[in-house]
Amino acid sequence: MNSILFMILRRLRRPIILIIVSFAIATIGLTLVPGVDDQGNVWHMSIFEAFYVISYTATTIGFGEVPFPYSQAQRLWMTFSIYFTVLPWFYAVGKIISLLQDVSLRQTVSAERLARQVRSLQEPFFILCSYGQSASLLVHILDEKGMRVVVIEQNQERLNELELTDTRNIILSLCADAKIPENLIRAGIYNPFCSGVVTLTDNDEVNLAVAVSVKLMNPSLRVLARAERKDIAANMASFGTDHIINPYTLFGEQLAMRVHALGTYILHQWLTGVPGDTLPPPENPPRGNWLVCGYGRFGKSVVENLEREQLTTTIIEAMPDLTECEKCVIGSGTEASTLLEAGIEEACGIVAGTDNDINNLSIVMTAKELNPNLFLIVRKNNRNNGALFKKFGANITMQPTDIIAHECLAHMLTPLLAEFLNLVRSQNNQWANSLISQLVDVVGETVPETFALTINATNAIAVSEYIKNGMQIKLQNLMQDPANREKNLKLVPLLLIRDGVSHLVPDQEMVVLNDDCILFCGTYDAKTALPASMNNTKTFNYIMNGLEIPDSLVWRWIKRITS
Amino acid sequence: MNMEKVVFGFFIVLAMTLNFGFFIGDIDNASHHHVYELYAAIIVSLIATVLKFGDRTQVGAILLSTSLAADLQLITAAILWAAFQNSMESSNLMVYIVSLSGGALMANFVSVVLLISETISQRR
Repeated sequence: MNSILFMILRRLRRPIILIIVSFAIATIGLTLVPGVDDQGNVWHMSIFEAFYVISYTATTIGFGEVPFPYSQAQRLWMTFSIYFTVLPWFYAVGKIISLLQDVSLRQTVSAERLARQVRSLQEPFFILCSYGQSASLLVHILDEKGMRVVVIEQNQERLNELELTDTRNIILSLCADAKIPENLIRAGIYNPFCSGVVTLTDNDEVNLAVAVSVKLMNPSLRVLARAERKDIAANMASFGTDHIINPYTLFGEQLAMRVHALGTYILHQWLTGVPGDTLPPPENPPRGNWLVCGYGRFGKSVVENLEREQLTTTIIEAMPDLTECEKCVIGSGTEASTLLEAGIEEACGIVAGTDNDINNLSIVMTAKELNPNLFLIVRKNNRNNGALFKKFGANITMQPTDIIAHECLAHMLTPLLAEFLNLVRSQNNQWANSLISQLVDVVGETVPETFALTINATNAIAVSEYIKNGMQIKLQNLMQDPANREKNLKLVPLLLIRDGVSHLVPDQEMVVLNDDCILFCGTYDAKTALPASMNNTKTFNYIMNGLEIPDSLVWRWIKRITS
Repeated sequence: MNMEKVVFGFFIVLAMTLNFGFFIGDIDNASHHHVYELYAAIIVSLIATVLKFGDRTQVGAILLSTSLAADLQLITAAILWAAFQNSMESSNLMVYIVSLSGGALMANFVSVVLLISETISQRR
């Protein structure tokens, strides 16, 4: 900041000196030139009067000839002064304005302003590097859930788009290159309230640079990075990046989940969904032969996962040498002949996974004509084509940005949620279905809130005190409604972690000990009501015993006497 | 021989000398203090201030600050003169003006001392 300021001051020297000199000469001349007053006597202007006249002349205001009309000599000098002072004045003003508009000055000023705003943040926030498609979706979901976000994006136009959208909280933004560590520091990686850095650009190199910078500068800060290439993912992992997200492998895994464990998939999507969404409708992909069009990273992942589920696949690829495809039908899949050659009439499903939206749509439309019973999976690359895909209504529409956003949310909302979802994947489908029905009974069909509670002196004072005094608290007690202890709050405990051991969907009769971490899933009302019972001794006592303790000394004394 | 340093030194010394020229004489005698000299002192002091812009060293910062202090007092003196020329007794007014210019003189003097010390420490 200072260097730019000094540079500007230096550049301002010449214009200002020019003004001073021109004013000085014009003023002194005007005092020396004789004038005539109303009685015909010779009269000289004082310095101050001369300065006044020159001031309003140079700035082209021009009041008039005061106090007496000027003599010829004075007018002569005035004419000369006009040309002599007005030009430097405009030159200087123009120069000053252009210097103030200097791009680097403005960028530095706004960067410093952002750094100040970030320093004064007093709530947990995430830093997002880049405001691309996935990042913008993530930002809006986080904002809906009430979390603060700081965005670093190099392209001013994308930031303008961010400015124009309606958000609940103020989203701080910095127009700068996220790869430069200075900008990461300004965005607040050293701020103790920073909960994590997320980098989701579609350029793996940029993501790598950001992940490495953050991990080197602040190793304890969580980093979520997107990486589509295995070598870059490995590179990131070596620096200790907390979560590496590869949308293609994720989709492949999710597809596999949908084939054999639909309940698990639904649970996953629901818990990491946008607030207000409902349960996704169950669509079980059929078993049989699948046609996969496009053998890029997406196609490879799909094929790998389908074959792991013991489904056969036939690959259709236009450039087999480029994608290292060993046996495939050569073609783009948009023509009927290629599809027939691949055996579309006997297939049960088709995956259109090229990186061109129009091609994908064309593939599935042709396929649908040839075999109306096909299960259609289509890849959507660009969010702007959403209307087309929606109208078409394929069975599954896969968009990389949605997958990335959901995966990030799983890790960002509550760290325990990622742990829970991991454990869920190893359970079977029936278990998942029964959990879903239990959740829907308690919480309803819209996306619930998930939050974690730690039983210790800072987060649950009353409970922790009771436990220290030797009382037995069951999980069920935590869930009782502080307004009416006969009823339960709309909560379901999903996970209990004690001493590093995870208990999945703990029983309500389980005893709660100090330093337990519990992951709850519930309605928004339950989430806000729970701290009331956890922290307030009087409320918790009511829950445990059903008795109301009076608040004041006087009443307690009265109660003691009368009982 | 550095032209920029010649100009720089010239204006700083000239500012101090003009200021001193205005200051010297009986403090309440208006005929000892000519208005044009004050005018010249102000102009040269302003130019000297502008020349000191943009210097990032510690010495540069102090030089700029002394110049600004001198400018402030000289301009205040000029404003007083212009405003109260007709309403006050000229000897009383002159006391105020000359004392302000005396203050500016001290600031200019410090400026020159700093310039000298910087020059001597850079013996070349």
